[in-house]
Amino acid sequence: MAAVRYSGLLCAILALGCGSESSSSGNTGGTLVISVGGDPGVLIPALVQTVQTAEMVDMIYDRLADIGDGLNILNDKGFTPRLADRWTWSADSLSIAFHLNPKARWHDGVPVRSNDVRFTVSSTKDSTLGSPAASVIANIDSVSTPDSATAVFWFHARNPQQFFDATYQLPIVPEHIWKPIPPSAWRASEAGRHPIGSGPYRFVRWVPRAVVELAADTDNYRGRPKLNRVIWTISSDFQTAVTRFLSGEADFFEQLRPENLPEVAKHPTLATKPYHALTYSFAQFNLRDPVNHDRPHRLFGSRELRRALTMATDRATIVRSLYDTLALPALGPTLRVYPTTDPNLPQIPFDPVRARQILDSLGWRMGADSVRAKNGRPLRFTLSIPGTSDVRVRTAVLLQEQWRQVGVKVDIEKLEFPALAEKDRKRTFDMALGQWNTQPSPGAALGSWGIQASRASSGNNFGSYENPAFDANVDSALTSFNPAQRKAYFSKAYETIIQDAPAIWIAEPLAIAGYHSRLQLATLRPDSWWMHIPDWWIPADKRIARDNAPVAAPDSAASSTASTAQQAGQKSP
Amino acid sequence: MIVAIVAVITFVLIHLAPGDPFSAVLDNPNVSESVRATLRAQYGLDRPLPEQFLRYAGALARGELGWSFSYERPVREVMATALPNTLLLMGVALVGSFALGILVALIQVARRGSFTDHALSGISLFFFSMPDFWLAILTLLAFTYWLPIFPVGGAVDPVMHEYLSWAGRVADRLRHLALPALTLTILASATVARFQRAALLDVLPADYIRTARLKGLTERQILRRHALRNALLPIISLIGLSFPALLTGAFFIEKIFAWPGMGFAVVSAIGTRDYPLVVGGVIIGSIMVALGSLLADLLYAWADPRLRGH
Repeated sequence: MAAVRYSGLLCAILALGCGSESSSSGNTGGTLVISVGGDPGVLIPALVQTVQTAEMVDMIYDRLADIGDGLNILNDKGFTPRLADRWTWSADSLSIAFHLNPKARWHDGVPVRSNDVRFTVSSTKDSTLGSPAASVIANIDSVSTPDSATAVFWFHARNPQQFFDATYQLPIVPEHIWKPIPPSAWRASEAGRHPIGSGPYRFVRWVPRAVVELAADTDNYRGRPKLNRVIWTISSDFQTAVTRFLSGEADFFEQLRPENLPEVAKHPTLATKPYHALTYSFAQFNLRDPVNHDRPHRLFGSRELRRALTMATDRATIVRSLYDTLALPALGPTLRVYPTTDPNLPQIPFDPVRARQILDSLGWRMGADSVRAKNGRPLRFTLSIPGTSDVRVRTAVLLQEQWRQVGVKVDIEKLEFPALAEKDRKRTFDMALGQWNTQPSPGAALGSWGIQASRASSGNNFGSYENPAFDANVDSALTSFNPAQRKAYFSKAYETIIQDAPAIWIAEPLAIAGYHSRLQLATLRPDSWWMHIPDWWIPADKRIARDNAPVAAPDSAASSTASTAQQAGQKSP
Repeated sequence: MIVAIVAVITFVLIHLAPGDPFSAVLDNPNVSESVRATLRAQYGLDRPLPEQFLRYAGALARGELGWSFSYERPVREVMATALPNTLLLMGVALVGSFALGILVALIQVARRGSFTDHALSGISLFFFSMPDFWLAILTLLAFTYWLPIFPVGGAVDPVMHEYLSWAGRVADRLRHLALPALTLTILASATVARFQRAALLDVLPADYIRTARLKGLTERQILRRHALRNALLPIISLIGLSFPALLTGAFFIEKIFAWPGMGFAVVSAIGTRDYPLVVGGVIIGSIMVALGSLLADLLYAWADPRLRGH
């Protein structure tokens, strides 16, 4: 039926006589329509905060080198050339010289120069920009430019991740576009709405909350991407976004829910592809009193109580109920896909008998109402969840039932997401269900479970878990150049935090992409499934009407961005 | 005055809601609090609420609606794009719902007491009681997925629209308008039908209707020429009353059909705590409602000669 709909539109095109002059031949050509649930907001690499924005930005901009599918972050092993066609390390490893590909051009035709690299680093570190990447490139001291084709990164300290920091975190932006605009005005600038990059796709148009369109950069220094264009259709509602995919209006949906799979299976033209995602979910205890943060939580200040609740939790059943075979119980604040993670990390076992014994020994006695109590106070607390997440609602109900069986009463509090975020930030919750979408570096765990993140006025360690042994082992792992030793340190850190039970580690789900079967996909990378879109293609004999639509001219505003940049820089929120 | 009060109440309420535009950026453990603090400072959200309000009121006095955090554009610009879409949707729904509602009421009254009358009353009550977002989701699933004859969302086909002829673009826009307009029309027409039926039944015992019958006019002629015109007065009042409901309905329906109107922008803005956009949207919405009431008063005066000159 979808084909009928589009054939009608095609007729209109043909009637107009505006036949395609698309350079579609062989493996090149075709249109990819991706259905997403959110607008990018900004298309500036240093300000990326959502997955949707990252997808678009990574097609428009390029990095010096790419991490590769192995997600290795130690030194430069596995990294592949991008804007830099080669690099050399200094003898003391405190600097890396990147030699730029002489063919690299910005989409407006200006060559990519080392000044662009230096400018990217200095602007990302500028505190007035407010870039989320600023903290993760703190080890980069500066960039020098001995010539226009060489950018030398200087680091504060030798670190196994310094190559990763210099490349993964920093898509390069053009100095000639952005320099006239003060970093504090980037977010609101016209240049951010008509981005010019050096990546495989050029910006064509962006209708806020509706569509973002990119077209293949046919003169790209890395070669022409196979698909003619990539279009993101934007819905603000999950159901609408997934219906767009199911009805054939879109070709790709990045993360189907398990309940969508039977519907996809009914369509012969649709297919699914599971892939690893850098995501784990957890039920987090607040270890500090929600009212007076100087005091421990009346319940969860007790390590033994947290362990008892963990023992009363049948995580395998929860994961099977929620995801069937599409997830595994989470190991801890880490992921199996990390080379540094031992998949056999010892866990607190599911043992409700032992859980009851511990609760008894802590003085929590079963009452007549089947709720335990101590000194007249029931063993009762609130579990805060985002009401919009069906998976988390179901997780909360299963936890509530499992804990009821050992005499614990849980009140589920459903909140809209900003309200829950506020509660997390102010640490006024008892227990909350959370999820981290993390990075290829396992060191990100310190940002959510480390001491500094606990003590910062409202850092991301919302439960205020603190154990110096955990921090020390992660630190040692991050500074170790020996892969085996690195893995051993991480294992010690994970064992420490698992036994301390600041959270119940719920699930490590696979993501399930839905796609139109005419698409020939490449690998969907765990950290960013979209990175290989330039290699996706559509066989000529399987193309549908929209694949043959003419490619729009790049946004005219883009070519005049440089001249308007100064003017845009005057605009302020 | 009403608009000013609405603006103040909305400003205070949305700022009292927990969370702020940057607290929701939490799915990345690398987003530090200092980044959020920088963003809050850039947009003046670190200032005390009274100071924020005074700044906003000052801007409002200059005709500025502020800066949308989520669109990264002036609210005026966002609204200038969204308002025509909302007016189009509401206009089509307003005309459609009154036409359909009056037609249904005429059929019911012509066959009052019959099975058709009872069935149409039941159907009207059914849609009258139905939450708008629920009907919208059902319509979405029914006509875009189970029977895929309409597009899922948006105002135009994001892929093909640019390449269509003028007529093709109009047709494309109408296809995208069909489902949200149909949903809103059905919901609003249920109210109109119930009011119109009651109004028609009220005028039928009148002396001039009896006289018309005695003159030998058919029931259809009596309804069309005599009863309907006199029964329209309460319906004209209903136009003014239904404007807020239509606008509210449009807000939710726009969200579900991704129709890029004011509702789509404002409902999303509530979730992201885009304060200026929420307040700006509510101000424009309240102006629309006030204008709708004024329009109803003018129509009432036009339809009822007794009010002319007052």
